[in-house]
Amino acid sequence: MANDKTSMQLIARGILAENPIFKLALSMCPAVGISTTVMNGFMLGVAVLFVQVFSSMTISIFKNVIHPRIRIPTYTLTIATWVTVIDLVLAAYLPDAYAKMGIFVKIIVAFAIITMRLEMFACKETVKDSFWDALGMGLGFMVGMMVIGFVRELLGSGAVMGYDVLGFKPLLFFILPSAGFFVVGLMMGFFNWIELYYKRKKGVK
Amino acid sequence: MKDIITIVVRLTVSCLLAASVMGIFFILTSNAKKHNEHVKEQQVMFELLGYKGEAKPPASLGLHEVYRYVITGNDKQSIGFLAPKGGEGHGEGEGFLLVNIDLNGQLIKADPVTLSEKDAIEAEPRKKAVEQAVGPGYEVKFADQTIIVTDNGKRIAYLVGGKFQGFKTFVHVMLAVDPNFTILGLEVLEHEEDPGLGAEIDQDYFKNQFKGKPFEALKAIGVVKAPIPPEYLEALNGKVGEEEILKFREQYKDKDVYALTGATISTKAVADGVKGIVTKFAYRMAVLDKVLKEQQLAVSF
Repeated sequence: MANDKTSMQLIARGILAENPIFKLALSMCPAVGISTTVMNGFMLGVAVLFVQVFSSMTISIFKNVIHPRIRIPTYTLTIATWVTVIDLVLAAYLPDAYAKMGIFVKIIVAFAIITMRLEMFACKETVKDSFWDALGMGLGFMVGMMVIGFVRELLGSGAVMGYDVLGFKPLLFFILPSAGFFVVGLMMGFFNWIELYYKRKKGVK
Repeated sequence: MKDIITIVVRLTVSCLLAASVMGIFFILTSNAKKHNEHVKEQQVMFELLGYKGEAKPPASLGLHEVYRYVITGNDKQSIGFLAPKGGEGHGEGEGFLLVNIDLNGQLIKADPVTLSEKDAIEAEPRKKAVEQAVGPGYEVKFADQTIIVTDNGKRIAYLVGGKFQGFKTFVHVMLAVDPNFTILGLEVLEHEEDPGLGAEIDQDYFKNQFKGKPFEALKAIGVVKAPIPPEYLEALNGKVGEEEILKFREQYKDKDVYALTGATISTKAVADGVKGIVTKFAYRMAVLDKVLKEQQLAVSF
């Protein structure tokens, strides 16, 4: 299966048409657990972006020597290796960033979205396309996390990016993990509604 | 059968590859990481003592490291405190004193240990020196280290490190306590709690709840599952004046700590952990002080 999309289309697909959180509904645990603020969402997004890009490219390079029976363990191993490497490098050379991002990097190993992208895309396509696809998916995840984080931060603690804008806390419930599901569900509905709206408009024309 | 062999071989090869990549990166980065950790520890130590940012510690301030070792041998256990030697003619590289105390708090013996200050920071040479001082037939195990802070020869604080089980894995902390074991400050060095929930333990408003808790209150510290009153929260975040903060600290000093929203287990772990570290430390310090006083041993603090 050759890929017939350009790099820009691949990125756009990751963010919009196949957004990992709103469309594919993957990696929901971190989405509901961690996206309590915009900043948390952003940090996790950046960490996922890097791991996704590196793992996708690695798998794409080695796609011909990976035995199909053991592809999933190989993917997990690849992801774990990159997570460890990024963790070590951050801790050694960017201690300030590590202080903020360290905990996010360590929890990535088990993310479904990364394994799924390796299985669906990277193990069939060229390195270049895998890179763009990984970038798109990583960005899509980051955007999704930040949007959820924005809603939850605003409603839960009355702040945006840590700055108090409302001056009071509307609903503490939104900080709790269970509220993450509500926000994700509402967001999914919203995105689907926009899609339907545009499709209908096109149909009328 | 052939399949199994292929799978085994390939998985082994991939594992070896992954392991070597991780190993290479570990070796490449370990020095820089150690250096960063050391720098951070120094910074945390001074911050806990109240020298933040621009404020430089005065020259009269002295930091004295005391290392604790568990010595086993001849079916007996004892505790060895490796403390810097003091007395007349204080100078560099004067060496250390190993105070060996049995479990009943009686001195077994006190030996001088020749160890330069540079070597004392490294775990391996330090352990060798202690092993030599204790003599053959004894097993020596490093337990922990404490820093005793003096100002003009008078003790002003202790810096105690420690770790305890958090929600997921160990939480490493450093505590500053005054000579009466009232908490001066708490810093979380390393943890892997969940972001947004338990990870809030490294936020100022949580850590500051422990500030100023006297030893008596700490011994019975618990966790309240209630939101922090807004005025108190502002004081904890340092958004009000210094006097106001002290007033709140006084008002809440005997109270339990407020649990973090959605992270009661992490909160409880920290409260219990801090309690454990300080009570054990207070006991050990009392034993060591008693022996030092009875035997007229000269140490630098």
